[in-house]
Amino acid sequence: MRVRKSYTSLTGKLILTIGMLMIAGSMLFWLFLFKHQEKELIQSSVKYGYSFVDFVRNSTRYAMLTVHGTLIQQTVEAIGGAEGVMNVRIFNSTGKVVYSADKKHVGAILDKSSPLCLTCHTASGPVKDTPSWKIHKGEQNYRVLNIVQPIYNQPDCYTASCHAHPKEKRVLGLVEADLSLELLDYSIRQQGIAITAYVVAFSVVISGTLCIILWNLVSTPLTLLSQGMRKVASGDLDHKIEINRGDEIGELADTFNTMNSELKKAKNELMDWGNTLEKKVQEKTEAIQRAQQQLIHSEKLASLGRMAAGVAHEINSPLTGIVTFGHLLLKKFPKGTEEYEDVEVIIDQANRCSNIIKGLLGFARATTADKAATNINDVLNSSLNIVRNKADFFNIKLEVNMDPALAKVRADAPQLQQVFLNMIVNAADACEGKGSITITTRNVMDNGGEFAEVEFRDTGYGIKDEDLEKIFEPFFTTKPVGKGTGLGLAVTHGIIQEHGGKITIRTKVGEGTSFFIRLPALKETS
Amino acid sequence: MSKGRILVIDDEDIVRLSCSRTLVPEGYELAMAKNGPEGLKMLEEGSYDLVLTDLKMPNMDGIEVLAKIKERWPSTDVVIVTGYQTVETAVKAIKLGAFDYIEKPFTPDALIATVSNVFRIRNK
Repeated sequence: MRVRKSYTSLTGKLILTIGMLMIAGSMLFWLFLFKHQEKELIQSSVKYGYSFVDFVRNSTRYAMLTVHGTLIQQTVEAIGGAEGVMNVRIFNSTGKVVYSADKKHVGAILDKSSPLCLTCHTASGPVKDTPSWKIHKGEQNYRVLNIVQPIYNQPDCYTASCHAHPKEKRVLGLVEADLSLELLDYSIRQQGIAITAYVVAFSVVISGTLCIILWNLVSTPLTLLSQGMRKVASGDLDHKIEINRGDEIGELADTFNTMNSELKKAKNELMDWGNTLEKKVQEKTEAIQRAQQQLIHSEKLASLGRMAAGVAHEINSPLTGIVTFGHLLLKKFPKGTEEYEDVEVIIDQANRCSNIIKGLLGFARATTADKAATNINDVLNSSLNIVRNKADFFNIKLEVNMDPALAKVRADAPQLQQVFLNMIVNAADACEGKGSITITTRNVMDNGGEFAEVEFRDTGYGIKDEDLEKIFEPFFTTKPVGKGTGLGLAVTHGIIQEHGGKITIRTKVGEGTSFFIRLPALKETS
Repeated sequence: MSKGRILVIDDEDIVRLSCSRTLVPEGYELAMAKNGPEGLKMLEEGSYDLVLTDLKMPNMDGIEVLAKIKERWPSTDVVIVTGYQTVETAVKAIKLGAFDYIEKPFTPDALIATVSNVFRIRNK
């Protein structure tokens, strides 16, 4: 997993900000600590400085009262030679160096504008006669503490036998000492280095720890989240973010995973809908196409029926004439003569025309059915009675299996009889005088609806595929000329459609054909 | 002496001719009308035992002719001759009092059988 390492990243920014704050805070702390330490050390040095000049004053006090100048000088020299003491000078009230550890300074008179004088004598205002100190840079690489202590006029001074100082004088002179701060500076430097080292080490450790914590707690999970989002955006809805934590980021990852799975579910649902919709549209389209074809077919049959009715009326009258006069003519020729046979042909052909017209009229009748609750078994029985004794059926085995519990249907019985007769006659024709016809009635369920079904099965030649789609077309026939009108199945189809039923075929060339006629079962009403 | 007086109402000449050529030799006396109104007029002018009327004719159809005959000359029998027969029209015709109906194209024997059946019943 590649985690982005950049100062522009959130972690980078956080680390940078916290690091800067840490460094600034540490520096301030360091500065404060350093300054405080330095102040403490200087104060203790100053205290020591005052003690030192007090010590000088006290050491020379007796010699001063007894006016032993040499002793004073020797004492000052001895003290001034001590380690860390750079110079000790005793001034009189006129600013003259009376005694000094460095003999060269003895006798020198300080100008009132000299820095030392100005510590007490300001240009205007009262004279300050209190002890004072200051620190200045020494000639070497360390600082120097300069202490100035006034020598006040005390009773034993102005009452001394020398009478050198009158009682009114408040300050008789001053002791000044320059003390080296070399050790102090060294100590301060060392402490500064130590504190800096501590602060830097502390900052580094804290920053490092913060880095690791932020990296693990924020940066890595955020990178995982953003990578996950990119994957999801590119379509990988199976991607899961593995952050098993109880904090807000863990919660965010869980929410993201939940959102992702919901998204996947929604996408799948949408796809399912899409597929189902496509399928449904296809089904509906097919249904519409089927209905359209049926409508066209029905319309074709209906218009053919209307035409047939007109034609029947027009043609039956001339046929009446042909038949009547044929018969009249027939009587004029003795039986067996050629003329007699010729006239018989005329009458036969006129009757054939009449049969064609009757077939055509089936259409007209199919469109006007008088429906009532009908038992298919009964209609089938009466149809069978009509054909049973016909010569065509003598050598055909007729098997009938009727379901006694067959549902009733709403139908026009004579039309149904016409359909059944058509079916039986067609089956017999297909059998060509041999084989068997099996008629079965049964109740069936189709698409959730109840139907009464009649199956007409023959062991005839079967129907060729190319004929199958034309079989219900009017005037389509495979029977020899003069045998079929090509209207039987067309009329049958029209009648069954008119009854809300359907007719289907199962056929195999060489084995036979089954016609299934299904009519909606009549709902039992109590 | 004829077997009976028959009026044939049909707009088709050939049908009228067929009837006359079939029934006249059988001994019936035939009159012809080309349509319903003409037939009714003839009925007013003379009496007929039987009317053979076509079902589908211009101006007035066979059912109407039948209704009028049964209304005004109830003793006259009517046989409907039809180019195409449906159950409905047959039922309607019988309900209105038609004796029988015969389908075109009929054979001379069928026509003779139907007509002689009418007279057999009438003469009982």
